[in-house]
Amino acid sequence: MSIRYIISEGIAGIKRARLAAFTSIFSLFIAILLLGILARVSYNAYQIAQSMRGSIDIEVFLMDVDERTRDKIRHNLDEQSMVTDVHYISKDSAARIFRSQFGSEGGTLTDLDFLPASYRVDVSEEATAEEIDALVNEIGQVRGVEDVKFNRRLLRMLEDRFNNVVKIGSGVGALILFAALVLVFNTIRLTIYAKQNLIKSMKLVGATNKFIRRPFIIEGIIQGLIAGLLAVGVVYLLFHYLLPSLLPQVGILEWPLGKWYYLSSAMLLISIIMGYLGSRWAAQKFIRKTSITDS
Amino acid sequence: MSADDVIEFKNVSVTYQHRQVLDSIDFSMENGDFTYLIGQTGAGKSSFLRLIYRDLLPDEGDVWVAGYHINTMKSNQVPHLRRRLGIVFQDFELLPDRNVYENVAFSLKVTGQKNRYIKKRVIEVLGLVGLSHKHKSMPLDLSGGEKQRVVIARALANEPRIMLADEPTGNLDPEASHSLMKLLEQINDRGMSILMVTHDYELVRSHAHKTLKLEDGQLNSISKKSLSS
Repeated sequence: MSIRYIISEGIAGIKRARLAAFTSIFSLFIAILLLGILARVSYNAYQIAQSMRGSIDIEVFLMDVDERTRDKIRHNLDEQSMVTDVHYISKDSAARIFRSQFGSEGGTLTDLDFLPASYRVDVSEEATAEEIDALVNEIGQVRGVEDVKFNRRLLRMLEDRFNNVVKIGSGVGALILFAALVLVFNTIRLTIYAKQNLIKSMKLVGATNKFIRRPFIIEGIIQGLIAGLLAVGVVYLLFHYLLPSLLPQVGILEWPLGKWYYLSSAMLLISIIMGYLGSRWAAQKFIRKTSITDS
Repeated sequence: MSADDVIEFKNVSVTYQHRQVLDSIDFSMENGDFTYLIGQTGAGKSSFLRLIYRDLLPDEGDVWVAGYHINTMKSNQVPHLRRRLGIVFQDFELLPDRNVYENVAFSLKVTGQKNRYIKKRVIEVLGLVGLSHKHKSMPLDLSGGEKQRVVIARALANEPRIMLADEPTGNLDPEASHSLMKLLEQINDRGMSILMVTHDYELVRSHAHKTLKLEDGQLNSISKKSLSS
């Protein structure tokens, strides 16, 4: 089977049915563009949520304990897997912080010796509120620890919001993909329907269904490639020029994982796969159904 | 199926749209035969041809074509069967966006032939149907007779053993019809079997060959004499 024939027929197929090809490319382009925008916005939302989570730390207030007990508590904290950093705040440092935060009002409290020494504990950004709760309870049981505090409400709120964003984002993403696939399938089906005569003639002279299908699949892949490239280009223009000029306070939203090629390759790949699947699905169904005596 | 037979029907029955169009039919065609199949509209002539190119399966009986047992052959063998048949329909079924050369070459390309062979073979069959000089013309620029000749050239390209022609002169004027019949007879003289479905009794009379009539599900042999009456 001639590969050159299949590829040249695939390209010729786009040229011969320009309107149908344009409709397929456009529907794929819109779907991939929406996915690209969704991915880039979601990634940045995720980054913001993660940095907010990173700012949440646990404060472990200590009783008046000797240095040995204090070191033991620190050792205990260091042992915890989700703890990333432990910073000691002495009574003096606590007083200094208090003064710097409350300014002259803080100065009226002449003796700030009542402020306890503490450990400020940074936890992993991946830790959930439940895990931190468990950790807080465990630390609270340690001898020499007076109290353990962390901003549970903020973390819970961030988690809830983030979970909602993930659920809605995934739902919207899946819906876009499904709608696009149905759209692409139907558009390609119409394209193939317009070539019913070609299919009949091919069957008439003894072409196998596989042979008939291949140029249509190549056509679908080329359409996917064009739609994907267009969508990547538009995502670039949108986030690098249009959005910063319309909303300068937002600035340029980062590419997912910091590099342009991850999202761009994913968009291109999804577009090509959808073009391939849509054309394969439509062609397979239609070619099998077409009889050489259909009028 | 005997060694000389290219088509054989044994006790074949077909019901189409709740009507029995073929009723326990026996039929055979040998290498080099030219046979007309006549009958009224709806008599089952198209079903008869569809059985041969395996677009339809019999309800009962057995069909053999070019060595294939139609009833039991796998669907992936159907294209191979069709490569051994040259099929010509009344409506020309040419691809309007390709020229004469491309329309004929197309049938060889889809069967995976090499470019050098395609070129040689297309020139050969276009010469045979008398259209070498029109190889660059588009179907729209051809007369009905010329279009049908291109279809015949396309059907011949793969060197089939049997030609099935379903009303090939149906859209042609009498002069073009006679010219086409002469072409089919020439092809038949080269040893190819031809089964031609037609309504044109005048043509059957003037180009006499074995004639079968489908009537009430039965296949009967008709003499030239009975056609004139």
